[in-house]
Formats: sequence, C-alpha cells, structure tokens
Amino acid sequence: MIPFEMVEPQSLQEAVSLLDPEEPTIRPVAGGTALMLMMKAGVFQPTRLICLHAIEPEHARITVSGEALRIGAMATLSDVEHDANVAARLPVLKRAMRTLSNVRVRNVARVGGALAHGDPHMDLPPVLAALGAKVSVAGPKGHRELPVEALYSGYYETVLEKNELITSVTVPARNGRKATYMKVTSRTADDWPALGVAVSFAHKDGTIRDPIVIVSAATEKLTRMTSTEKELQGATVDDKALARAGEAAAAEAQILADAHGTAAYKRELLKVYLRRAVRQALAEG
Amino acid sequence: MSNMRTINFTLNGQEVSADIEPHRNLVELLQRFDLFGARESCGQGLCGCCTVLVDGKAVSGCLYFAVWVDGKSVTTVESLDAEGVLSIVQQAFIECGAFQCGFCTPGFVLMVHQLLKEHPSPSDDDIRHYLSGNLCRCAAYPEIIEAVKVAARRA
Repeated sequence: MIPFEMVEPQSLQEAVSLLDPEEPTIRPVAGGTALMLMMKAGVFQPTRLICLHAIEPEHARITVSGEALRIGAMATLSDVEHDANVAARLPVLKRAMRTLSNVRVRNVARVGGALAHGDPHMDLPPVLAALGAKVSVAGPKGHRELPVEALYSGYYETVLEKNELITSVTVPARNGRKATYMKVTSRTADDWPALGVAVSFAHKDGTIRDPIVIVSAATEKLTRMTSTEKELQGATVDDKALARAGEAAAAEAQILADAHGTAAYKRELLKVYLRRAVRQALAEG
Repeated sequence: MSNMRTINFTLNGQEVSADIEPHRNLVELLQRFDLFGARESCGQGLCGCCTVLVDGKAVSGCLYFAVWVDGKSVTTVESLDAEGVLSIVQQAFIECGAFQCGFCTPGFVLMVHQLLKEHPSPSDDDIRHYLSGNLCRCAAYPEIIEAVKVAARRA
C-alpha cells in the first residue's frame, strides 16, 4: 500500500473536525477490512485516515433503550453476533451474522463501517433496513437521524457528507413482526451474493400486514420494494399470492448484470427467493 | 515521510516495541520479528493463511493495520510449542494427517484454537462455520475436521 498519514482523534467532535467535506482522500477508518481491500486494489489512495479506535469504548456499546435496541457504530460484527439482547430480540440479525464474511473479518469489521461503505453486496444493511432501523449521524452541525433504507444514493455512495460519521443504529421493537434475510451466492457458498432479500411483516389473522421488502446485491444500491409491499399487503401466504409478489418484485427491481449472473437470471432468483423469504420468515418467527 | 511511529505490544508473551508506518499490515510487522507463520496469501481476508490472534481473537493479519496492535497482545502460531511441546491442536493435526503441503496449517490451527475456546465441544456445523474462512488448496478438509474433533476430545 502507498504511505499515508493516520491520526487518532480522542473524541467524536475531534474526529468530525478532522474530516474534510471537500477532500475525498481523507476518510475515517473503523475496522478497515473493506477499506483495506480498496486500498490494496488501488481504488482508494488515502492521504490521511482518521482512525476511530480511541473513541471506540464510548461508541461500541449495544444497549436496550425502551423497547428499541441501540447498537454503537464501533461495535464489531462479532459483538452483535454474540450479544444476548440481539439473540433474544433480533434473532434474524444474529442468524445473518453467521453467513456474513467469516469469523476473522467479523472480529474486526464495525457496524458503522458496514453501513457507511455503501457496497450493495453487504449483508448488514438490508437486514437492518427490513427491521426499520435508523442510523444516528454526527456532523459539524450536530446530529441527525435517517432510516437505513434512505442511506444509499448509488453504487458505493451514501447520502452522508464526507465529514459526517454514523454513531449508532437503532432497531425498533419487533412487536411480533416476522423477519428474515436470504442471500443467494451463485458460485461458492461464501461468495459475495448475487442477490439479497430481506423481509419483515406483521402476520395477523393469517394475512401479511405492513410488509417491508428490501433487495440488495442485484441492484445498484439497497432498494425498498414499495410495489411489492403493496402486493403483499393483506395477502394470505399461499403460492398464488407469493407468485404475484415475485412478479411484482421482478418488474420493480432495477437489476444489474455482473460476474454473479445476468440480469435475467437474477430476476428469476428474485421471484423464487422472495417467496422463500416470506415462508422462511413465518417459519423462523 | 516522517510517518514512523513507535508501538509497544505483547508478542507471544514478550513485551516488545517496533517502529512502523501506518500503511504496514500486521503480517509485515511480524516478519520484522522473524515470524513467518502468518503468510499473506490471498490478501483479502478469505484464505486464513495470515491468521493471528489479537487479544485472543482471530484476525486476518493482511487486513489489520500493524499500528493497531499498540498496547495489545499478539499471539502467533510460533508460540504454540513455546515449551517444546506441541499444542493439543497441533498434535491432533499431525496424527490425523490434516495437511499435505502445510502452507495453510498455521491459520487453521489458530482458528481451531479460537473455536475450541468458544465451543469446547463443537458440532460439525460449528467446525465448518469457524473454518469456512480458511482455504486448503490440498483439500485436506475431512482430515482437518477429524483433527478438530480429536483435539476437542483431549482439550
């Protein structure tokens, strides 16, 4: 890698002040597992990295506040995987962790980085988006909050300014909603996904209520599928309804071709995996 | 560039210090101490050949900045037979023939150490899950899984 400078701010405020909204070669680094890949590939050549480790203790906690679960942005993915509150309240999140990269990467990668990186193939953003999670963001003008589903503006692009930092993500109470995440890898089991589908919904009197459907990996950015949600709203879970929802999703998603498969192939995957995801959510609870 | 910084850390039980630049990774740092058990191979955190324990947790040395071990404890495969006796895991690997060329073995051995620490009686699923991030080009996987079970029984 090409030499660069690394600075270690001692507070969140200092970290924000060291970032430069006009300078793309200055970036924050938390776990660095994704950033280092870009640096090794020569895609990103920093002049300065703002290392967030000194402010980690304050921002790595996973706490229950009211009925919601708040995950500090500096929590590692392993912290989330092994947290008792996550296991009890959001088993879908714990399950998703087991298929996310590998143990070593999860020991190092941070939740904030996994959200801010903007790679549509990542697993954590679609799961959190389907759970209705919100990120808290710190910037020079103070804090703001936005839904995870609104975080992405394009391929590896977020709506965050270059001098804003995600400080935590808050997942609301599940209130009995069913949720699951399915990823489809077309080459090896541990490959980057060709498609990610995350769903959550309430299930009352045998019908789906207030569904959230998120598609990732096959699209330029994580995408909420509102037409598909309308198709599912009030539906009974049967083959007919799920086939209709699958057709709606295939028509709605802006699917891209890449090394993981053609657009036509991924559209077929989406029809099948939306159906499976709804059924799996019901089965897993 | 006057980017060099001095870091202090525990390396296989010994207090050490090193002068290192921020763009160096942990594998490069270990090489300066003549430790070559962690090898940068895929360079992407996928193959596990660069596995090192930092504060007891397995990390990919190729995806970990060297300066980040400042104040931490680093364990490499070289420490496992420090008293001239192979670890239970190493012994099990030999008895089960859990390798051919041996290039990936240090990474597998360290991952198994973390696995057995967290799951003393691992299920087949646990074993596959923890080792899914380690690649063996000789495909000694059945023997490796057997070695984990042998080590778990003796641990």
